[in-house]
Amino acid sequence: MQKQKNIIRLSNLLSDSLSELKKARLQQIQTMMDDFNTQCSQAAKDSHLFRTATEKGWLIGADDIRSRIERNLDDFSYHLQRFKEFINADETAMPNFSDIFAELSQAEQEFEELNFNLSEKTISVITEPITLEGISLGPFEVKLFIGQICKLYTDSPFRVIALDPNPAATNEEVTHPHVSNERLCEGEGHVAIRKAIEQGRLCDFFTMAVNILQTYNSDSPYISLDDWGGIGCYDCGCTVDKESTCYCYSCENDFCESCTSYCHSCDETICLGCGTECPNCDEFVCHNCLVECSECGIRLCRCCAEDDDLCSECKDIAEDSEQQTKIDNEKENKNEKRDKCSKKRKANAKV
Amino acid sequence: MRILYVNNDGSGFADYVSVTDGTTVEQFFTIKMEGRESSDYLIRVNRQPVPKDYVLQEGDRVTITPTKIEGAVLLR
Repeated sequence: MQKQKNIIRLSNLLSDSLSELKKARLQQIQTMMDDFNTQCSQAAKDSHLFRTATEKGWLIGADDIRSRIERNLDDFSYHLQRFKEFINADETAMPNFSDIFAELSQAEQEFEELNFNLSEKTISVITEPITLEGISLGPFEVKLFIGQICKLYTDSPFRVIALDPNPAATNEEVTHPHVSNERLCEGEGHVAIRKAIEQGRLCDFFTMAVNILQTYNSDSPYISLDDWGGIGCYDCGCTVDKESTCYCYSCENDFCESCTSYCHSCDETICLGCGTECPNCDEFVCHNCLVECSECGIRLCRCCAEDDDLCSECKDIAEDSEQQTKIDNEKENKNEKRDKCSKKRKANAKV
Repeated sequence: MRILYVNNDGSGFADYVSVTDGTTVEQFFTIKMEGRESSDYLIRVNRQPVPKDYVLQEGDRVTITPTKIEGAVLLR
């Protein structure tokens, strides 16, 4: 008895919401009609101006108006066509209360679990646990928000919630190949689902939503079931088996083999982002194994860095200058000795 | 006679159609869904499952819903 009462209340809510939707649709028609009316007024204004210009012999002005009419006519025919399509598409008969009640009663018979939440204004069904191509995705709840039906033309009024989620390895928002962020991408069922909601055929709506969940379209999934398990490469995003992943010790993330290398200096596994080529030997090394030359500032691997943390060029320059200093010192010593000897010789000569 | 035909295949529609007297559900399906397998569809008459030799009556409501509907990422 309580269930019957709930169905009656929900039928009332649904009826109100569908009336709102119909009202929104009629308002759209009104907006289009207003737009059409404005275009007609503009045409009447142009006609009056054109007649005046022609009668008074203002030929340049008449030509300007003619150009404007030509432009407006293109817009006019476009708007007229759209208006006609819109009006023709609006043949949806509003379901009456007994239709909605029958729909809800049928849905209750068809689905084992049909849940109502009057405070939340939602109706939902729970699917059987879904398994696609051997991958278990768990049961889903298809929840229709009655209050959002009036926004049907701009937003989806229902959500698909994974009750025992087994999301894709690379994106936990994708709980089903055709569900992302609790939103079902209906694909070829899109129009039929919209029509069913619009016409208050809720049992058809739930049946179609569940049937989409039970079907896998390998041509257009959010994430292919082939890539469902495993681990996503932190760099390129491709999915790899757990055994085939490479762990970068530097940034502590998992990568695929193509996005990984190793440090030629410390032999640790690193991703391509955590290392660089040594400008001297061109070998790939991690950032920890790079040493800055104390002289020129260039960063090179430990193997290429000489003593005193100098690059080979700076080391050569340092050695050259050291050699030069030695030679200069020797020369200076020799000159000093020569000076001393000549001074002595001169002193002896005086004596 | 006229019946209400609700087709949830493709773009989906609900409309009254004329059928000849004595038409069974199976014949109606063959006419309306030419080349399709009835096993791929859920067929209801007046919201109830019926045997394929059920003879349609004036004012019946026939619903045909595909059981396999392919979702997609961006098909709007």
